[in-house]
Amino acid sequence: MKYCVETFDLTKNYRDFSAVDNLKMKIKNKGIFGFLGPNGAGKTTTIKMLTCLTLPTSGTATVAGHDILKNPNEVRQKIGMIPQKVSLYGDLTVKENIHLCGDFYGVPEDLRDSRADELMEMVDIKYAENKYVSQLSGGMKQKASVVASLIHQPDILFMDEPTIGLDPTTKRILWDLVEELNSEGRSIILCSHDMYEVELLCDDVGIINRGVLAAFDTPQGLKDTMIKERKNEKTSRSSNVTKIVDEIQKEASPEEKASFDKIKDYVEKKNRDSMELSVMINNLDENVLSHLKNLPITYEITKQHSGRIVIDMEDSEESVNQIIASIIENNGNITSISTKDPSLEDVFMKVTAKKEEVGEE
Amino acid sequence: MVETKKIKWMFKKDMMVLWRHKPRLISLILFPIIMITLFGYGMGGTLTNIPVVVVSQSNGPVTDATLNAIKSTNLYDVTNVINDPTKGKQMVMNGQDKAAIILPSNYDDMQSQTPKNVIIDADSSDQMATGALIPTTQALFSQISNQIGIQELQSMGLSSSAAQSSQIQVTSQTPSQVLSNPVALSSGINFQNIVNSINFQINKLYGNISYIDFLVPGVLAMVVLFSCMFGMGESIAGERERGELARLFMTPTSIATIVGGKILSKLVQETGRAIILIVVAIALFGIVIAGSMLLTLLLLVLVALCFVGFGIMISARVSTQEDYMQMVQPITLPMMFMSGVFYPVETMPWIFQKIAYILPLTYANDALRAVMLKGAGIGAIWVDVVVLLGFTVVFFALGVKSFNRDV
Repeated sequence: MKYCVETFDLTKNYRDFSAVDNLKMKIKNKGIFGFLGPNGAGKTTTIKMLTCLTLPTSGTATVAGHDILKNPNEVRQKIGMIPQKVSLYGDLTVKENIHLCGDFYGVPEDLRDSRADELMEMVDIKYAENKYVSQLSGGMKQKASVVASLIHQPDILFMDEPTIGLDPTTKRILWDLVEELNSEGRSIILCSHDMYEVELLCDDVGIINRGVLAAFDTPQGLKDTMIKERKNEKTSRSSNVTKIVDEIQKEASPEEKASFDKIKDYVEKKNRDSMELSVMINNLDENVLSHLKNLPITYEITKQHSGRIVIDMEDSEESVNQIIASIIENNGNITSISTKDPSLEDVFMKVTAKKEEVGEE
Repeated sequence: MVETKKIKWMFKKDMMVLWRHKPRLISLILFPIIMITLFGYGMGGTLTNIPVVVVSQSNGPVTDATLNAIKSTNLYDVTNVINDPTKGKQMVMNGQDKAAIILPSNYDDMQSQTPKNVIIDADSSDQMATGALIPTTQALFSQISNQIGIQELQSMGLSSSAAQSSQIQVTSQTPSQVLSNPVALSSGINFQNIVNSINFQINKLYGNISYIDFLVPGVLAMVVLFSCMFGMGESIAGERERGELARLFMTPTSIATIVGGKILSKLVQETGRAIILIVVAIALFGIVIAGSMLLTLLLLVLVALCFVGFGIMISARVSTQEDYMQMVQPITLPMMFMSGVFYPVETMPWIFQKIAYILPLTYANDALRAVMLKGAGIGAIWVDVVVLLGFTVVFFALGVKSFNRDV
């Protein structure tokens, strides 16, 4: 099986509102897929349809090779779901909840008990197995929910914002678990707003906006696409300005032509391939700054707090060397330096903003 | 496929939650006790239009006057005037009428000094109706008796002044005072028989039944109604709202299994509640169950099943407990008042009577009263049982069919 999930024009309408609109998506088997989107974009509705918790208005999907409409029980048997809201019985203990789930999935009793112990140990909740779920903290409830969702050893695990509101240690435990489960050959579908989490864990990322799949690639692929788009934008902007200036220059006096040439140079320079370099200098002063500004490779410098500056500069390795040399020559003390590539968050913002503009049109 | 293990789990889970949720457990025990105590000690009301049949075995002015007097009293709704006492009694036992007023064959014989035996065969299983009928009928015939006595004295040639004097005394004083009238005493006539010309005999067809006896079957059914309906709100809409039901829906489990588990746990709780109610009613108020205890319990289980089905049908599509309660209250409260828990259905305005017969609680009350008060067997209540079963099947079918698995 190549894909663990494949959707075919999957649609969910609530009266006049289309929460998910003709979604076509293929999620690689045995990978970790990050499903992103702003609030109300259709992520949870899509997950609910894929986990057979709600019926699509039209279209269908296959999950673990089974059609969600024709064989929902086969789908349910093959998947586990960690929902956004912990949904265990508060008046039952952790162990009782896990046993209940095991029995509902038809796990034989001895296997159920050994797996429950093993999983509880793995997420470090075994010590609280006899506590009522209502007495647990948010993190512990989430851990119990994870164990209940894994008791039947599903092939695919759906996680709907599983680490929201959790402390860093619990988050780390869950991330480790995700990686371990994936290494055992399980597919993970992770819905999240945490870009760091997605970037850290996911092989592929899909961004949904207004019910439509707006982007789908690896995290690096998405970032590369964004870099490429930025370059194209700049090139196109520069060429447009040059064309306009050329037109105006035709009727200009020689003095005016010289001024227009300067404008063209500036625009071309500004829109040439550029990069952003973030540098932290612990003794940053005006002398260092003025030398950096006067370098021909520097387009713009933005001063930030605590001695950090972001330099918009020519995109080349040589340029980076020149910047470092200039700072050292002027007695600047560099504590950190890094290039500022677009992050997954930048990609997310751009993709969702772009779609918003289209939507508004 | 019956998923026994899962149904057992649902049952076990609900029982554990009930045991650990002490307020719910306390309410389960206290609610029936409070209800029966409140109703036992505190209820009252005024009745009108109680259906009665009059058995008239003679013709004449006295019979006509008596019939007119009965018809003009708004407590009675005279459904029939017949001449066969056995048929009259049968009509009461069939539930057609609440009482048969049987006038004797010598009712119009003004010459005879033999007292006239007026019999009332009352459906004492309906304590409310009987309680209102007997004193009113007694008072009515007492007055008629006095007036007949005066007429007889007049016909015997007593002076008009004496008669007039007696008439005044009859209307304003008791019959014993009439007997001490010096004019009457001096004439040497058997005034005892003349003045007490009507003997009033009450036959309570089902013995002496107190209001609490009458009330217990209705309150039993009502308590089962309320606890099932409100309980299903917590059990389904509440679990749906808290996301707990979603956890079960994620597993390969059918709606019928989940509903089956809910039914089982609710039935056990309701049977327990009904037993508490009966025990408390016997201990505090000394009620007697005339019929079979087992049949009473089985009926209660059927009533519980019916209302659990009703609750499932309503909770099938609602997503919050609040929505559920908003839907249930406008149904349960009118049902409580229109199904004859407190007043006989026959005494209500016609439109309410029509509505009463489409409410399951009416049939539950009817069957429980028949078994508990009249000692009826299954043969006498089969219509109620069939109707309740019909309601149950319809409620479950609609509930399971429309159950929204979406979470």
